[in-house]
Amino acid sequence: MSKNRVTRRQFLNYTLTGVGGFMAAGVLMPMLRFAIDPALQVKAEGDFVQTSKKIADINEDPVKVDFTFEQVDAWYKSDVTEAAWVYRDGDRIVALSPVCKHLGCTVNWEGDPAHKNQFFCACHAGRYEKSGKNIPGTPPLGPLDEYEVSEKDGFLLLGKKIANTLV
Amino acid sequence: MLNKIYDWVDERLDITPIWRDIADHEVPEHVNPAHHFSAFVYCFGGLTFFVTVIQILSGMFLTMYYVPDVENAWKSVYYLQNEVAFGEIVRGMHHWGASLVIVMMFLHTLRVFFTGSYKKPRELNWIVGVLIFCVMLGLGFTGYLLPWDMKALFATKVGLEIAGSVPFLGDLIKILLAGDAEIIGAQTLTRFFAIHVFFLPAALFALLAAHFIMIRKQGISGPL
Amino acid sequence: MQRGKGMKFVGDSRIKANNRMVNQPKDYSEYPGKTEAFWPDFLLKEWMVGAVFLIGYLLLTVAHPSPLEGPADPTNASYIPLPDWYFLFLYQLLKYTYASGPYNIIGAIVVPGLAIGALILMPFLDKGPERRPSKRPIPTALMILAVAAMFYLTWESVVNHDWEAAKAQGAITDKHLGLLPDVEIDETAPGYEIYQAQASCVGCHGGDLAGAGGPMLLGNELTAEEVAEVIQNGRGGMPAGAFQGTDEELQQLAEFIAGLKEAE
Repeated sequence: MSKNRVTRRQFLNYTLTGVGGFMAAGVLMPMLRFAIDPALQVKAEGDFVQTSKKIADINEDPVKVDFTFEQVDAWYKSDVTEAAWVYRDGDRIVALSPVCKHLGCTVNWEGDPAHKNQFFCACHAGRYEKSGKNIPGTPPLGPLDEYEVSEKDGFLLLGKKIANTLV
Repeated sequence: MLNKIYDWVDERLDITPIWRDIADHEVPEHVNPAHHFSAFVYCFGGLTFFVTVIQILSGMFLTMYYVPDVENAWKSVYYLQNEVAFGEIVRGMHHWGASLVIVMMFLHTLRVFFTGSYKKPRELNWIVGVLIFCVMLGLGFTGYLLPWDMKALFATKVGLEIAGSVPFLGDLIKILLAGDAEIIGAQTLTRFFAIHVFFLPAALFALLAAHFIMIRKQGISGPL
Repeated sequence: MQRGKGMKFVGDSRIKANNRMVNQPKDYSEYPGKTEAFWPDFLLKEWMVGAVFLIGYLLLTVAHPSPLEGPADPTNASYIPLPDWYFLFLYQLLKYTYASGPYNIIGAIVVPGLAIGALILMPFLDKGPERRPSKRPIPTALMILAVAAMFYLTWESVVNHDWEAAKAQGAITDKHLGLLPDVEIDETAPGYEIYQAQASCVGCHGGDLAGAGGPMLLGNELTAEEVAEVIQNGRGGMPAGAFQGTDEELQQLAEFIAGLKEAE
């Protein structure tokens, strides 16, 4: 054995690994950043969207209000119609998202004749109270999301989805 | 003439041992359905491979018409199924083949399990086999979205919600699969297409090669 | 690589010039017992099985054209999703109390994770030398239990799904194919405004009158009286009394819809 702590072969092995690592990093880094881009993009704040529902027409029974906005999905822009279950709760207007918190199906008001005054999801029989609170013992994980609500010229405006504030 | 060409190549590359090893290796009696009819259970692995080959071929041909784009994906599938000669057959082979691969692979797994063939020295090959199973399920899941019809979209929606329920990493996994935090749309379709057509098949080829090399090295497990 | 005195190579390559394998198959008498050469004896038998299998496969393909539903519409609220059949057992599992709700993680991650984990680690969990299923009862019993559970869950999922409703929801319509009847819609007609103002109309028949959950109104073949009749009393899946308004509005709406005839 020589006095050198690193033999020639070890040195070459380290160098080879280093150069190989550099090449792999140089090749893969741009690609990985490219692939994970959606996770790092910052979303623009959502604006309020006009609906055709008059505030005065909203009563205590939830009705489904469809509203349309331009959705930008990368290069694909489209007019998307979403729905909200809207009703009056005392002084305030409540707009609940119909997307079930279990697996993303769509809930319906009194969708199950056996359970009046509840939202019902047909997929796994998930149920919610009128406030959007999930009923314990049914599959959903949490309460239905809520839309921010505003008013303009007597018509209902819906904003971005927020966590349920009623429950 | 062919012999001469063969000899010419063989002299330069010595290819004979490669194929002779595969062609001449002895196949034991207990896996041969001609000797024991019950040995047909040993055919499931080979049939899985057969359907996989059909899947690869039919998939290659389907991309001649298919477009992974939200505007045109469904239209291209509708066109290739209804307007193109034999389109119904080719898409049918890919569609039913996807189910048959799962069925055959499931039966193959059960055969290997109940004959105890995963025991020493074949532990590694069993692990590679389970990984192939996972890749196949991934191919099934990503391929199901590509026709971009109603059931495809909603099945994917449910699948992504399940992926999103993984603790801590769920949201990240969902975004990386779907390409967007909320929308299942243009980016989801292109991502699923890339995964279905390039990433998972690449993994599948590597795993299949390892699977077959190990079988050839270790030989088939003995009779019970 | 072997190197030595007297070894000859092809040119300057590493291929040995002598003692290469002879390009001739071995005689079968050299094999012991009833073993067979892989090529061509055994492979012929495998391919015969494969050929029978292929016939069944192709017959299936011809007899059952692969299904295609209408184009994806993320806004369709009523669609009941269903995964591909080999994920049905997992989907069904998520319906049970202790695999959903606050326990969702058990059904979605823990149970499948344990199953796959146990499957991968099988050789290290069951290390004994015994190979016969009867001599290793615990792994055998667990596997039979797992398979039975998968079959049961899949079966439950299939019988609980409303296949008729799903078929109707997914059907391809003329609207999807761009085959809308050639109808001119008079958007200034009073009936048009009444239609658009009725949430129950638009909800099922669509804002563009081309149908959504319910049938398309364009190119219908009813008279105004018949339309009014249907609006008031319902028909098929359409409920009675959904219309809210005066008789005059009803008349205008009926005339508008009856006017949606295809141009000759």
